Amino acid sequence: MLVLTRKVGEGIRIGDDISITVVEMKGGGIRLGIMAPPTVKIHRQEVYDRILEENKEATQWIIADLDDLSARLPMVKEVK
Amino acid sequence: MKSINTRFGQVEYDPANTLHFPCGMIGFESLREFIVMPNKKQGPLFWIQSVDDPEIAFVLTDPTNFFLDYRVVPDDNEKQKLAMEEEDDCHALVVVTVNSGNDFTFNLLAPILYSPKANRAIQVVLEHSNYSTKVPLPAV
Repeated sequence: MLVLTRKVGEGIRIGDDISITVVEMKGGGIRLGIMAPPTVKIHRQEVYDRILEENKEATQWIIADLDDLSARLPMVKEVK
Repeated sequence: MKSINTRFGQVEYDPANTLHFPCGMIGFESLREFIVMPNKKQGPLFWIQSVDDPEIAFVLTDPTNFFLDYRVVPDDNEKQKLAMEEEDDCHALVVVTVNSGNDFTFNLLAPILYSPKANRAIQVVLEHSNYSTKVPLPAV
């Protein structure tokens, strides 16, 4: 991993179109400003990790449990 | 027609008619083509099977069956990924995590936006919401 030291107001640039600036340091937290094209998705790491884990978990199911569940779920309206 | 041997058995599909995820699912970015499988049992659940990896299948549902005020609107960038025109329909779907022992939850934090016209879908993250990845069925 590349490790760089930056002060408040300084930044780094990644590729042609992403720049990250250290905006403020306060109470043990660091506020970052990020400029990137709208097509680039930016997420807090722990949120991304949580969704990744949930997706992995969601692939581990068996038909019997799905059938059980389907029988118990209310059907409010037709699924498209 | 092509066919793949999934963990649920042999499945035939038309490669021209698969559900396309231009960015894959989070953590499964390389899996772009899925077959939509109706559930044999009557009910609100259905599932999608990856064409590229026979082990990977997700159970999905229309969340508005259970969460009446749940709305997800695509932004311009998301519309572009879905190859949507301004007036095209877009539905939100969510992944259901089905565990054994009657335990199941809905991932309302990262819904799937689906464009029926283009037959495309993307998984998005609702970061500024209070939704979690494990929302239980609301008590009626």
